[in-house]
Amino acid sequence: MFGRIARPVTLAALAGALTMGTAAAQTNVKIGILGDRSGAYSDISGEGSVVAAKLAVEDFKPEQHGLKVEIVSADHQNKPDVGAAIARQWYDRDAVDMITDGVTSSVALAISQVTKEKNKVFVDTGAGTADLTGPQCTPNTIHWVYDTVALANGTGGAMVKRGGNTWFFLTADYVFGQTLQRDTSAVIAKNGGKVVGSVKTPFPTSDFSSFLLQAQGSGAKVIGLANAGTDTINSIKQAGEFGITEGGQALAGLLVFSSDVHSLGTKVAQGLVLTEPFYWDLNDQTRAFSDRFAKQMKGGSKPTANHAGVYSDVLHYLKAVAELKSTADGAATVAKMKAMPTDDPLFGKGVIRADGRKIHDMYLFEVKKPAESKGEWDLYKKLETIPGDQVFRPLNEGNCPLVKG
Amino acid sequence: MPEAALKTVVPAAATGSLLTVRGLEGWYGESHVLHGIDIDVRAGEVITLLGRNGAGKTTTLRAIIGILGKRAGSVVYEGVETIRMASRNIARLGLGYVPEERGIFASLTVHENLMLPPRVKPGGMSVAEIHQLFPNLKERAGSQGTKLSGGEQQMLAIGRILRTGAKLILLDEPTEGLAPVIVQQIGRTIQQLKTQGYTIVLVEQNFRFAQTLADRHFVIEQGRVVDMIPNAELDANIDKLHAYLGV
Amino acid sequence: MTTIFGVPTQALFGQLLLGLINGSFYAILSLGLAIIFGLLNIINFAHGALYMMGAFVAWMLLTYFGLGYWWALGLAPLVVGAFGIVLERVLIARLYKLDHLYGLLLTFGLALIIQGLFRNQYGVSGLPYAIPAELSGGQRLPFMFLPNYRAWVVVASLTVCIATWLVIEKTKLGAYLRAATENPTLVQAFGVNVPLFLTLTYGFGVALAGFAGVLAAPIYSVNPNMGADIIIVVFAVVVIGGMGSIIGSVITGFALGLVEGLTKVFYPEASATVIFVIMVLVLLVKPAGLFGRTA
Repeated sequence: MFGRIARPVTLAALAGALTMGTAAAQTNVKIGILGDRSGAYSDISGEGSVVAAKLAVEDFKPEQHGLKVEIVSADHQNKPDVGAAIARQWYDRDAVDMITDGVTSSVALAISQVTKEKNKVFVDTGAGTADLTGPQCTPNTIHWVYDTVALANGTGGAMVKRGGNTWFFLTADYVFGQTLQRDTSAVIAKNGGKVVGSVKTPFPTSDFSSFLLQAQGSGAKVIGLANAGTDTINSIKQAGEFGITEGGQALAGLLVFSSDVHSLGTKVAQGLVLTEPFYWDLNDQTRAFSDRFAKQMKGGSKPTANHAGVYSDVLHYLKAVAELKSTADGAATVAKMKAMPTDDPLFGKGVIRADGRKIHDMYLFEVKKPAESKGEWDLYKKLETIPGDQVFRPLNEGNCPLVKG
Repeated sequence: MPEAALKTVVPAAATGSLLTVRGLEGWYGESHVLHGIDIDVRAGEVITLLGRNGAGKTTTLRAIIGILGKRAGSVVYEGVETIRMASRNIARLGLGYVPEERGIFASLTVHENLMLPPRVKPGGMSVAEIHQLFPNLKERAGSQGTKLSGGEQQMLAIGRILRTGAKLILLDEPTEGLAPVIVQQIGRTIQQLKTQGYTIVLVEQNFRFAQTLADRHFVIEQGRVVDMIPNAELDANIDKLHAYLGV
Repeated sequence: MTTIFGVPTQALFGQLLLGLINGSFYAILSLGLAIIFGLLNIINFAHGALYMMGAFVAWMLLTYFGLGYWWALGLAPLVVGAFGIVLERVLIARLYKLDHLYGLLLTFGLALIIQGLFRNQYGVSGLPYAIPAELSGGQRLPFMFLPNYRAWVVVASLTVCIATWLVIEKTKLGAYLRAATENPTLVQAFGVNVPLFLTLTYGFGVALAGFAGVLAAPIYSVNPNMGADIIIVVFAVVVIGGMGSIIGSVITGFALGLVEGLTKVFYPEASATVIFVIMVLVLLVKPAGLFGRTA
């Protein structure tokens, strides 16, 4: 009913009125969105994470719970030192209580350490490394959306079960790619499959044709893409050109976001199998959220799993703070978050384990054929729901010191 | 004094000059090289600029054609003041430039070198006429420009200017480093051009050679014209000239 | 089966062919750089950004005007060339009297600005651009599956390189260009409008980059950083070939594509590095590059 411009004013007025009424009971909360706003991951993180956080605050209606919420954001440029410095300044000087997003594994680990030192709260949505809830877990960090183990279990396990029992890897030649290949290989072996070959591709690579030719020559049923971002896009684009899928081989993207698939278009990406915990077109609730999100984004883009994660974790964090009526003790807040079951429109019901791992279902998707796709964002069809307790690493296998053996 | 005043105020048209240079100053970067050159060249005349090495002869030519870094004063060609014009526009008035060391392009064939300068005025020689004048250029048309001998390169440098229809030719040391027999041939060519009505400004170290061609000689010292000797009076002034040139 | 160092000869042929295709991009891009450096003495660091622009213009033509690949192949180089002409007139022309370094810094800054603007507008994931219908599919050769589009890339690139070479070596226009590269002052003194030549040459050089961008759009990710990745390699190609050598840049482009292709078979981890190793070796033995004239 209100115009878009009028609305924030009304909210502010409402908040102001409540402030006067219940001044003693009000808790101030400051949330920092620390992501990649200009680099390789700015489409899965960036401004979309800020929009998602704002929508969460809007839906939570903090004034009704005696909270006053402020959101700030910054660009960590995918550099651990920059990320740690911003986190430190936010906690020390700017009274930030909680940081989220934290895309890029190396930056996430750095922010996690600073957060523990300052006893604040860090909920990571964008980073892949499973170490956040493994050897490097802390009482102040939660890992919300996905990790490399879950991706390996999801795509690797499911593909083998569906008959893709021989694999060839295109592996980005750095820690992330190698870890992903290692984890996925373990899953393949466990499920009775076999890795017949792999090639290390320099990072970044723009032309994968030569590597694809080797993969094609290997005769493997599945070509696993242990890479990310532009490398993944280039390898999929060129696989289409070389008729890989038409030749009967399947492509498995081990870390693919819907924004990557959107950039490829269904014509090129069709048939690609991948694992994600969220897709905008899963159900009425995700569609409603995604419409609101898209209206605030330049170009009307749909939310990625990372954006959905920011919405979901901000909501859960505010619930915990509303119960505690304080943000002072970060570890206590995280403990409260772990104690409360999670429930939101995007990920449904879930739990946060002792090691900080948020557990929810993941989905095995296949990219639609152009004929099946009804619009530029109509990208996936769901092949399988992988239950949360099967897709994530078992609690006792992560070597997290918080888990008593 | 009245004579000097007369020189500077009488317009080009009145004196019958094709080219009138007044108070021409020139700089290479920060160094001030020309300090006020005054020269008149009448149509159909051959004049030489004589002087020691570094006196400013070549610089004067470069300043006239407009390729010196910075210049000031007045250079009037056929009544048009060119001091503020870009060199490509000066050339288009009908000036042809044959630089020292000939300026033959190594990456062009002889024929391409010949055809390179655009026609600036009607009435230039045809290629056939140039080939008649310099038969070697025809024989070696397909060779790389710098593979020619020094004398052939000089013929090419002159020939390509004759194609353009330029009426005033600035010739910078055409005999430098050439065998006497070639020097004679160049001399005959210049003589021939003179009879055809070309106007020529010649920079020359060798005044014995210049003597056979020129109507008047301008002596340049330290960026100024210090004397003008009509060719007829050259022998009478030979001692003075030796002093100027330090021979 | 016959093998060479443990690699089947058939696979080797395939890899060599792919190397040649990659070499096509190196050749067109380094050709443009060589022409620009030769005449303008500008080390054009904006070349990669303009290559990226070529790919984006192709995408824009399709998305906003419904003009497909073949239109883009003609129009995008014109758009990029026109943009280059504006850059040259407004900015680069002011630096000709200064050291190379200034031109390098200016064009490097321009590259960052252009990339930043595109990133701000279109994000980093890139945009979809499909292979034109006429060129989709491929040929099953005895030793590999050759996508039709890749074959087209080699043909198009060779055609453009040879045509450019012919224009430079065999026409009046080319003679002006060569002469002005050697001695711009003298050419100017003959009445030729050299500044106009400089502008048009820059425009043409970057139009080549735009053309390469359109060729790349259907097979590489169309994103704002696509030029930054390739341009460093292309600079190495230019250095190996000899700065300013037209024919050298083309031959070196194709040859290094082949070398890179072979490396991808025998030691893939080094395939991003091999060109730079060759560059170091060439510089040690022939500082002016393989085809460069020693000054």
